[in-house]
Amino acid sequence: MRRFTSLLLFSCLAATTAFGGGYQVSLHSVRNIGMGLIGTSLSYDASSLFYNPGGAAFVNEKWSFSGGVSLLMARTTFQSLNVAEQAHLEHKMNTPLYFYAAFKPTTNLSVGLAVNTPYGNGLSWGENWQGRYLIQNLTFRAFTFQPTVSYKFKDIVGIGVGLVYATGSVDLNKAIPLQGATGDGTLNIKGNASNFGFNAGIMVHPIKGLSLGVDYRSKVEMKVKGGDATFTVPQSLGQSFPNTKVDAMLPLAANLDFGASYEFGDKKQWLVGINLCYVFWGTYDSLVFTFEKVTATQAITRSASPALYVNKLIPRIGAQYKMSDLLTLRVGGYYDPSPVPDDYLNPQTPSMNQIGLTCGISVYPTKGLSIDAAFLYIMGMQRSGTFSPDNFAGTYSTAVYVPGIGLTYNF
Amino acid sequence: MKKILFIILSLSMLTACERKIDEFPASANGLDFSKFVAVGNSMVAGYADGALYLSGQENSIPNIMAEQFQTVGPCDFKQPLIGTEAGVGFQPIPGDIYCFTKMVLKIVPDKDCAGNPVGTASLKPGFVSNPDQATLKQQLFAPPTVTGPYNNMGVPGLSLQAAFFPGYAAYNPFYARMATAPASSSIIGDAMAQQPTFFMMWLGDNDALTSALAGTDQLLTPADTFAKYYPMATGALLASGKSPKGVVATIPDVTTIPFFTTISKALPWNGVTLDATQAAGLNQLYFMYHHSEIVWKEGQNPFVYIKNDGSWAQMQAGDLFLLTLPTDSVKCKGMGIADQSITPIPRPYPIPAKFVLDGAEQANIKARIAQYNVVIKATAAAQNLALADMNTYLKSFESGMVFDGVKVSTTFVTGGLFSTDGVHLNPRGCSIAANYLIQSINAKFGSNIPQANITSYQGLIFP
Repeated sequence: MRRFTSLLLFSCLAATTAFGGGYQVSLHSVRNIGMGLIGTSLSYDASSLFYNPGGAAFVNEKWSFSGGVSLLMARTTFQSLNVAEQAHLEHKMNTPLYFYAAFKPTTNLSVGLAVNTPYGNGLSWGENWQGRYLIQNLTFRAFTFQPTVSYKFKDIVGIGVGLVYATGSVDLNKAIPLQGATGDGTLNIKGNASNFGFNAGIMVHPIKGLSLGVDYRSKVEMKVKGGDATFTVPQSLGQSFPNTKVDAMLPLAANLDFGASYEFGDKKQWLVGINLCYVFWGTYDSLVFTFEKVTATQAITRSASPALYVNKLIPRIGAQYKMSDLLTLRVGGYYDPSPVPDDYLNPQTPSMNQIGLTCGISVYPTKGLSIDAAFLYIMGMQRSGTFSPDNFAGTYSTAVYVPGIGLTYNF
Repeated sequence: MKKILFIILSLSMLTACERKIDEFPASANGLDFSKFVAVGNSMVAGYADGALYLSGQENSIPNIMAEQFQTVGPCDFKQPLIGTEAGVGFQPIPGDIYCFTKMVLKIVPDKDCAGNPVGTASLKPGFVSNPDQATLKQQLFAPPTVTGPYNNMGVPGLSLQAAFFPGYAAYNPFYARMATAPASSSIIGDAMAQQPTFFMMWLGDNDALTSALAGTDQLLTPADTFAKYYPMATGALLASGKSPKGVVATIPDVTTIPFFTTISKALPWNGVTLDATQAAGLNQLYFMYHHSEIVWKEGQNPFVYIKNDGSWAQMQAGDLFLLTLPTDSVKCKGMGIADQSITPIPRPYPIPAKFVLDGAEQANIKARIAQYNVVIKATAAAQNLALADMNTYLKSFESGMVFDGVKVSTTFVTGGLFSTDGVHLNPRGCSIAANYLIQSINAKFGSNIPQANITSYQGLIFP
């Protein structure tokens, strides 16, 4: 147990990475990961605070706690279009995590707090690769804190809303094509960002066994104010590249999720469910860094990175089977289409259509307490494209392996 | 718990291998690069920064091409490497040559006309060091550090017809150092003797460039001479024994290179501002020296320069200053107006002819290059050679091109394409040119030779 605790502590310090179509991370509960990441119509535990605040009031027990961590191991390889060279993303162990706590002061009311990492990106292509003038390494992480209230009317309709406070940081390194005796110039951008959003949902149980849910998580504009841009350039160009404050805005895209699930069997031991997640990536038009001090020579480093993402629909399907009071098994899958157009495929976010396959298990050592484990395999569909503003072309291929482990305690 | 940790750890081990992706599908499509020979001038030799030096040769266009050819088959490419990184360049002086090293960018403090620093500094090309003439000459004439025959037969200064001269070594030390028989061999002969299986020929620049660099249109190779010798040169290589394939390149419009465009961007042709009294004084002065054809007026006036026929004229819009123009003399000594240092009466001080390429000269040079390029294109078509239209390609760099996030243009220093001499490409520029030649070969012969990674070649080095 001590080891497990230290693992959790370690994970708090580590970064998260993008593996979704864009830079959205959907690893919010090990139980849900096990069944294809569905959750909008489920209300088994405190993770509903995130998946659908309307569902939290349907959790039967007075208290519910759920926490866990995933180990996200992404493997990405790049083959240049014209050059006989390949590059590999360096293997960073990334650990998205979550913690949810819900309390029911009355039968119909639930209040709770959700903490998780719904967006992030952490990658390192190395110092000397072919695309180093686009990106060398990037760490972007965002934690969200979401105090939530949920109320159900009878056992039919639940509504809930949470205030989302997102806070994060970005740290980006790239080379600048101005060379001195020691090699390329470099640019480091570091900054913190935070902002507010909301999460609101409705859950309906129209007939026995059937659950329907709708959840909307608003966009959060992560604004970096007064970040630090540090240039390392040859001495003779130092005056043209003063270190400066920098502002930027990275939008965390809004999500509109629909979910339906059905419990059946003589002991309701079976559950099947689907989710349709519509991600408003279209809000991510470009990433613009506004430098406080700009000199003519700085124009050499493009400060606007067009993204031109497009909205995407992610279909997900999952199933659960309660084998006994001690053991539950889960399975699922989903298709996550890339929001990035071919002309803007950027090694900063090597995005491609992905198929995810999942399985999971919960073991109940005592009533109410479960140890949850899941494994997610994501197969990226090899994709060729060009980041046309930089004329950087090639083929990317990704596979992601995500084991996850968590604890849930309802009492 | 231990079990779960164990499972997680073993999964991490399982997945530690790299993600597989198809390698670049390189293919020669029948081309044989086992004996690749390059013929040409300084652009082919790897001459840059005003000199021939070791790393410049290592980053020569044909050497970069050869590295890529090696992905589809054997291609051993031997170059006549010089044993100095500081490099050697020279210019002829009566009865001798004057040698210098390569240039690098240096931080030079700005000074006023009295020679006092004004507190600012500029980036300027300067010789890397000043060793004595004896050392430089010894390095220039020393045999290459590897023995021949040399696949890279690029010789700085070479013009088309000179490639055929037996005994050309006597006229060009860059050939003397690598000739098979300095007294009798020719460059084409040495190239033929190697029986290439594939050749690259980028020859003919100097038939126009040498004249342009001297600020004149009087030294251009006649078009009919070019038309006679060009197909002979490629024909000789084609007939050398192994039925080679080859690639040729057109000649860039020399007036697009930084050597001719840089100064004029900062120093306008009509940069002389006069009041009425000054204009009257200059008119009187020029009258005294029998140059009353030059008329000064109040306001903006063009600089005065000497034309190639010796007559004096005022500059016109579009006339170009050469990179060699002594701008200090213009700024401080009245070059282009009147030499104020001569007292009591100043003397008219026209800009010498060698520093100006006027509109008429440019037009003649451009027209002649166009004629050369007609010959090159016709030869490529008739002899089934791949053609890299470098002239058209270089023009697309005037507004800038982007590769892998690197923006390059024909602008001096900041453009990142040319070396400090403003004429020759830097290593990154050479890799871009090599890639264009490779594209031309692939297009013509259906091969799929990969291109060089331009980011692994250095651009200009800033201090």
